[in-house]
Amino acid sequence: MRSGDFKENYISDEAIFPSLFARFWVAVLLVSLLLFPFVANNHLLYIANMIGFAVIGAVGLNLLTGFTGQISLGHAAFIGVGAYTSAILITRWGFSFWLSIPLAGLASALAGALIGIPSLRVKGLYLCIATLASQFIFGFIFVHWESMTKGITGIHIPPPAIGAWHFDNERKFYWITLFFVLLGVGYARNLIRSKMGRAFMAVRDRDLAAEIMGINLFRYKLSAFAISSFYAGVTGALLVNFLKVVVPEQFSFMVCIEYLAMIIVGGLGSVIGSVFGAVFMTLVPEMLSVLSDIVKEAAPEMASLIVPFKQVVFGFLIVSFLIFEPRGLVEIWNRIKKFFLLWPFSY
Amino acid sequence: MVKKTFISVISAFLVLGITVIAMAEQLPTICAVHPYTGRFAFAGIEGAAAMQDVVDMTNEAGGINGKKLQYYWADGEYKDDVGIAAFKRLYAQYKPQVAFGQSTGMTKALGPEIKDRYKTLYSAYTFAEEAANPKVNPYLFLPGPTYVDQFGVILKYIAKEKPGANIAFFYSDTEFGREPIAAGREMAKKLGLKLVAEEISQVGGVDLATQILDMKAKKVEYCIFQGFVSNPIASVVKQSKDYGMNIKFMGTFWSTEQQLLNELGPLAGEYTGVSAYSFYYQNDLPGIKKIQAWTKKKYPKIQYRSQSYMAVYMSTLLFVESFKRADKMPGGFNKPENLVKALQSIKNFDVGGLMPPVTVRDNSIPVGRAYRGNPATTKFDPISDWIRLD
Amino acid sequence: MVEAVAMDFSVLLQIVVVGIAAGGVYGLIALGFVLIYKATSILNLAMGEFMTLGAFVCFTALASFHLPFYLAFIITIVFAVLLGVVIEPLILRPMIGEPVISVVMVTIGLGVILKGLTYMIWGPVYRAFPPIFPSSPLLLGTVVVPSGLLWGFLFAIATMAVFILIFKFSRTGVAMRAAAFDQQAALSMGVSVRKVFALSWSFGAIAAVISGVVIGNMSGLNIYMGDIGLAVLSVIILGGLDSIGGAILGGFIVGILQNLTGFYIDPLVGGGAKDIAPYVILLLIIMIRPYGLFGKVTIERV
Repeated sequence: MRSGDFKENYISDEAIFPSLFARFWVAVLLVSLLLFPFVANNHLLYIANMIGFAVIGAVGLNLLTGFTGQISLGHAAFIGVGAYTSAILITRWGFSFWLSIPLAGLASALAGALIGIPSLRVKGLYLCIATLASQFIFGFIFVHWESMTKGITGIHIPPPAIGAWHFDNERKFYWITLFFVLLGVGYARNLIRSKMGRAFMAVRDRDLAAEIMGINLFRYKLSAFAISSFYAGVTGALLVNFLKVVVPEQFSFMVCIEYLAMIIVGGLGSVIGSVFGAVFMTLVPEMLSVLSDIVKEAAPEMASLIVPFKQVVFGFLIVSFLIFEPRGLVEIWNRIKKFFLLWPFSY
Repeated sequence: MVKKTFISVISAFLVLGITVIAMAEQLPTICAVHPYTGRFAFAGIEGAAAMQDVVDMTNEAGGINGKKLQYYWADGEYKDDVGIAAFKRLYAQYKPQVAFGQSTGMTKALGPEIKDRYKTLYSAYTFAEEAANPKVNPYLFLPGPTYVDQFGVILKYIAKEKPGANIAFFYSDTEFGREPIAAGREMAKKLGLKLVAEEISQVGGVDLATQILDMKAKKVEYCIFQGFVSNPIASVVKQSKDYGMNIKFMGTFWSTEQQLLNELGPLAGEYTGVSAYSFYYQNDLPGIKKIQAWTKKKYPKIQYRSQSYMAVYMSTLLFVESFKRADKMPGGFNKPENLVKALQSIKNFDVGGLMPPVTVRDNSIPVGRAYRGNPATTKFDPISDWIRLD
Repeated sequence: MVEAVAMDFSVLLQIVVVGIAAGGVYGLIALGFVLIYKATSILNLAMGEFMTLGAFVCFTALASFHLPFYLAFIITIVFAVLLGVVIEPLILRPMIGEPVISVVMVTIGLGVILKGLTYMIWGPVYRAFPPIFPSSPLLLGTVVVPSGLLWGFLFAIATMAVFILIFKFSRTGVAMRAAAFDQQAALSMGVSVRKVFALSWSFGAIAAVISGVVIGNMSGLNIYMGDIGLAVLSVIILGGLDSIGGAILGGFIVGILQNLTGFYIDPLVGGGAKDIAPYVILLLIIMIRPYGLFGKVTIERV
C-alpha cells in the first residue's frame, strides 16, 4: 500500500502515468477497448462510436474553456465547419477520407481563430455572447450557402476505405474512432503539461498578470481557439462520415449546450474529465431511451412524456452538478481514488 | 463512475437479451420511428396510433396468413440524428422486413443505406419525390401523391380559375418546405402563372409582417404554403386580412388539417388544400366507419382522427397487403425483392373509401382531391372529385 | 414617377412602423434581461422559457378556466413573481462568486428544465390564443398596424412606463437602484439586498411573461416561442447590459433594422436574413463598441 508519492526528477513528475499501478490499469482499459467490438452488437457499437466523437469534441472544448478560460458558445459551428469541409472535399473533389480529416480540422481551426478575434477585445460574458452570435451566423451559412453545402438537403458521403476494405458499418468504423480518440486524448494530455498548456492556464487564471510575465495573449488565445476548433473539426468530419450524411440541423445551438454540459459535468480543466463527461452525457439519454421502451409497454399514455423528461433530466444534471459538484465527475473520481489510496484512514 | 458502469452493464444485458429473443423466430415485423415529440408531434402521436390500430386489426383477423404481425416503434423527436439512431437500434434488435420513418430528412438520409444494407420496405411521414422513385430505390414508397404532384393539383386549379394569376410560394426553411419548390417553379412557368414572390419563414416564425407586406407589394393573388402544419399559416391569413389584402390561400397535405381550420375560425373559407384521403367525418364511407368503430371501442375519449392518422393508416394497410402477397411468393416475406414486387402489384385495391381503389404507380399513389374550409361547419368540403395525377 | 416614389415611401413607412411596434416588444424582453443583470450581474439566458411559461399559464387561465382576461393577467403576474422568488434563492444564490461560465450554464440549464416541464404539462401542440384584444387593425393614413402588434406595443410601453415609475418614485424601486449601484453602501443603509435580488428576478419574470402573453396573442403558442429570447441579446448589447433606457431604445432600433432587412434583403438571399440580422448586429457591436450605447464601461482593476 502506497502512502506517499515521491518523485525524484522533473521527468517523472511530469509523467502522464505516474506509477506502475496507473500504467497497469490504463493497459487493462486499452485491452478492453480493443476487445470491445468483438463482443458488442451493432447498437452498442453505434453508441461507442458516438461516445468517441463526443470525447474528441469535449476534449477540444475543454482545452479552450476549461484550460484557457475562454467561454465559447459556438462549438457546434466549428464541428459543422469540419463536417462540411470533409464532406465537400470527399464528394466534390474526390479527396480521400484520410486526407480530409486533417484538412477538416484545419478549416475549423481557421474558423476558430477568426471567431476568436473578439476574445482579444472582450472577455467573460461578452465573449460568450459573441460566440453565440457566430454560432447562429454559421448556422445560417450552412443552410444558405447552397452551392457548397447543398443547404437543407445535405450531402451524402460514401464510407471511407483503405483499398478494398470499406469502413461501412459500426464495427469497422470503431477502429477509426478509437484511433482518433487515443490520438486526441494523448495529444491533449501532452499539450497541457507543455509550455503551451501552462500558458493557457496562466491566461485563464489571470490574463493581465500572464501578459506582464511575457505570455503573448494574442498568440495564445488565438491558438487556444484554433486548437480547440481543430478538435471540433475532426469530430465533425468523423461524425458525418460515420452517419454518411451532413445536414445543418446536426449543428444546432443545442449541440453547443450538450458539449458545454459534458465538460462541466465531467470537470473543467481536466482531460480525463472531458472523457468522463462525454461518456456520461451520451449514455444518460441512451439509458432513458431504453427506459422509455419499457415505459411504453407498461403505460402507453406516458410515452410522450419521456422525451421532455429527458430534457428535464439533462437540464437538472447541469444545474445540480453546478451547484453541488462544480468541479465535476473528475472530482468524484479523485475522491474515490484517494479513498482507496488512504484506506483505512479517511484523510 | 460506479453508477455509470452499473448502468452500462445493465443496458448491455437488456439489449443483448432482447436481441436473442427477437432472433428466435423471424415473424413479419414492422419497425417505425414516429415523431412522437417535437415539432411534428401532433402527426406522430396520431400516426403511432394508426399503425397500432392496423396491426391490432390485422392480428385480430388472423394476422398475415396466420402469422402474428409484430410491431415496435421508437420516438425520433423529429430530429434526424435521433431518428436515425433509433432506426439503427430497432433494426439491430428486431430485424424488421418493413420500416417507417419520421420525416423527409430522415428518409433522404437513410435512403441509400436502406437500398444497400437494410433492404426493408420503407415509407415515412413524407411525400417527397425522392421516396417515389423505384428505379433509384425500389424499397421506398409513398401512400399518396408526392408534394410535387400536390403542387401540380393546386397550380392546375389556379390556372383554371384565373389564368395568368400572380402566385407566391410561402414555405418553411426545412427539407420538408423546400422539397417541391424547384419543380413547382417549372410547373408554374409551364401553366402561364406568374410566380412573383417566394416567402420563407422559420417554422415557429413570430414576426411575419415583412413577408406579408412583400406579397402585398407584389400584388399576389394566390399564396401556396408548403412545409408548415398550422403555425404560421393562420397568422399569415389573419394578418393579410388586416393589411387589406385579398389573397386566396392554398396548401399541401400536412396543413390540410382540422387543426388549421380550428385556428382560422371564421376565416376557414380562405384556405383550400389538397389531401389524398377522406376525412374522419365522412361517415358514409365503410372504411371510415370501421375506423370510427375501432376508435370508439379502444379510445373512448378520442373524438377525431386527423389526416396524419389516415396517411399512416394507409401506409400500414399497404404494408399488411404487401406482407400477405409476399408470403405467397417463393421465399416468403423474408426476401426483400418479394415485398417490393408485392407492393408494386397492388392494383385497384379496395380500402373502403379512404381513397379511391388503390393502384401503386411508381411507388406512389398519385391521387388527390381539393378541399376547402367551411366557416360555418369548421370542416373541409371537397370541391373537386378525386384527381388522378398521372 | 412621383407615384412610384410615394408608393415606395409608404411601403418603407409601413415597414418602419411595424418595426417600431415589434421593437416595443423586444424592448420589454430586453428590459427583463437588464433588470436582472443590473441587480445581480447574471445574464438570464432562460428568459425565453420564462416567456413561454407565462404565455401558457395565461392561456390555461383563459381557455381551461374561462376567466376574464384581467383576472388571467393578474394570475400570470402573480405566477411570475412566484417564479422569480422561488428560482432566485434555489438556483442563483449558490452561484454567487462562481465563475462566469458556471453562471451562464446554470441559466441555460434552467431554461432546458423549464422547456421540458412546459412540454410535459402542455404538450407540443401549437395553440391559438383565445382572442383577448379587439381584432381591428389601426389605420394611420396608408400605414396599417395589425391588432396583435398594436396591442403588443401598447402593453409593452405601458409595462415599461410602470417599471420606470416604480424605480423612480417607490421605496422598493429606490432600494433596487441603490443595491444595483453599490451593494455595500445599500446594505449599510438597511436595504435588504437579498430581497432586492429576489425582487429583481420577479420583475424580470414579469417583463418576460407579459411579453409572452403578447407574442402568444400575436402568433400563437407553442414550446418553441421562447427562442426569440436569444435574439433579444442583440438589443441589450446594443443598449448596454445595464442600461434600462438602452434596452428600450435598442429594442426599437433592432426592431426597425430587422424588419428592413427582412423586407429588402430576404428576397436576395432566399430568406432567413431577417432571423440572422440581430446576431450580425450583435457581433458588429461587440467588435466596435462592446459596452453598447449607454452601458457602463467597466474598467478592470488589477
